[in-house]
Amino acid sequence: MSDLAKLQQQFMDLLQGESSDISDQIAQQGQLNTQQRLSIYQNAYKIRLRAVVEQDHEQLGIYLGDDLFEMMVDGYLALYPSTHTSLRIFADKLPDYLATNTPFNDYPILADIAKFERLLLSAFDASDKTLLNVSELESIEPQQWPNLLLKLHPSVQLVAFNTLAVESWQAIKEKQTPPEPIASEPRFWVIARDIDRRTQYLSVDEQEHRLLNLLKQNTPFAQLCQSCLNELPGEQIAGFLITKINQWLERGWLINE
Amino acid sequence: MTNRFLGFGLGLRAPHFEQIIAEKPAVDWFEIISENYFVAGGKPWHYLNKIRSDYPIVMHGVSMSIGSTDAINKDYLNQLKNTIARVEPQWVSDHLCFTQVGGINSHDLLPMPYTNEALEHLANKISQVQDYLGREMIFENVSSYLTYNASQMSEWEFLAQLHKQTGCKFLMDVNNVYVSARNHDFNAMDYLSAIPSTAIAQIHLAGHQDFGTHIIDTHDEDVPDAVWDLYAQYAKTLGPVSTMIERDDNIGSLDDLITELEHAKTLVKPFWDIRA
Repeated sequence: MSDLAKLQQQFMDLLQGESSDISDQIAQQGQLNTQQRLSIYQNAYKIRLRAVVEQDHEQLGIYLGDDLFEMMVDGYLALYPSTHTSLRIFADKLPDYLATNTPFNDYPILADIAKFERLLLSAFDASDKTLLNVSELESIEPQQWPNLLLKLHPSVQLVAFNTLAVESWQAIKEKQTPPEPIASEPRFWVIARDIDRRTQYLSVDEQEHRLLNLLKQNTPFAQLCQSCLNELPGEQIAGFLITKINQWLERGWLINE
Repeated sequence: MTNRFLGFGLGLRAPHFEQIIAEKPAVDWFEIISENYFVAGGKPWHYLNKIRSDYPIVMHGVSMSIGSTDAINKDYLNQLKNTIARVEPQWVSDHLCFTQVGGINSHDLLPMPYTNEALEHLANKISQVQDYLGREMIFENVSSYLTYNASQMSEWEFLAQLHKQTGCKFLMDVNNVYVSARNHDFNAMDYLSAIPSTAIAQIHLAGHQDFGTHIIDTHDEDVPDAVWDLYAQYAKTLGPVSTMIERDDNIGSLDDLITELEHAKTLVKPFWDIRA
């Protein structure tokens, strides 16, 4: 290992809180001693990454309170140091961390709130696509419909929670007391940008959630119809789906591709 | 690459997007943080596309880690290359420092030792990166809070040598020079005078926090008088150089930043042939 590589590794070891000989490399000068000079970098490292988690997960931070938030940041930073050049990615594994590490995994709502906040970010900066409009949909020949592949906008994120994560997130944002965390039945959500590029979230029923998931998996229209056979009489299915598709069009969830 | 004088610019920050689009303020150009646009789409690109139709844009990165002994990060360079293709900037800059070691990113601008080994390493890395991107890069001096025993020359001798060996040009952050001069007790003009004026492609002006015993480069305050004074002194030694106010935190109103920019113009007007 070259001298330069060794010095850089020692510096990174210091930031990571590992044993490091970097202080032997630092020149004595001025009014600050070596430890004070190194502490500036150690503090900046943690402050910067903590700020990223705080910014990405503002409501989670309030839900946790200061002490647990600090514990979470310390634990996350130790297990998942940043390996990406973009800070946008840094906290991507936070939901996994909360779901698998004590004491946070005793409270499944924490991982769910974190997941919800990450999906908001994913919707916010997903790629732009040309939206499908009604006239384009109407111009599709009847014989093409069975094999029609409707495409969801890249911002459309689908998630189901067994907790009241979204309701709690919303309550915290509105400075209200969050509800009890566990839901009596699963909650299904769509998170997406609207036609004005605002990030929105919407509660949907299990059937609509399943249909949207099928679209994500490039399922043709005929199979969407089949998937509704257990829930609707055959003659109502096409009409039901056309209504849904029109709603999705209005929300900007379908693209012309 | 010529040192095109773009005039007086600002760092483009999200809180100002809508005002810039609506009012088209008298700012000559904007600098974006490259990595903020390493996302596929949404509002960041929506606003940038509108603003770049009215203003020249330059790109400024924080994660190239040109000084790192890690191999060049081709994923990063591909993202940068794609972003350059979308933005079509006037030029692209990053920092003379290391941020990543062994695949771990510090997200901090860590200072290099000023050694012959580091000089050779940087010269090779700059050449590799410029070849990969197919364009020249500009590199900014970072502020620092420590120096290494291993250093064989001063920071300004190091930069001058790097320019001599590679021809690379610099984004001179006058605040960073001031911060390091205070933290390491050297004369800031000794530093600035040592770098050929033809090597300076851009200037940053920013604020910091002064703790008495040392200064932290925070970019969250107005440009202080001492930095204005240094800028004015430095400007006497240069031809017109594209200058901008860089505010990264505690971002105030656009109007306040434009007032600071006007002050920069006033300071250099006696020395630079610029139209008001």
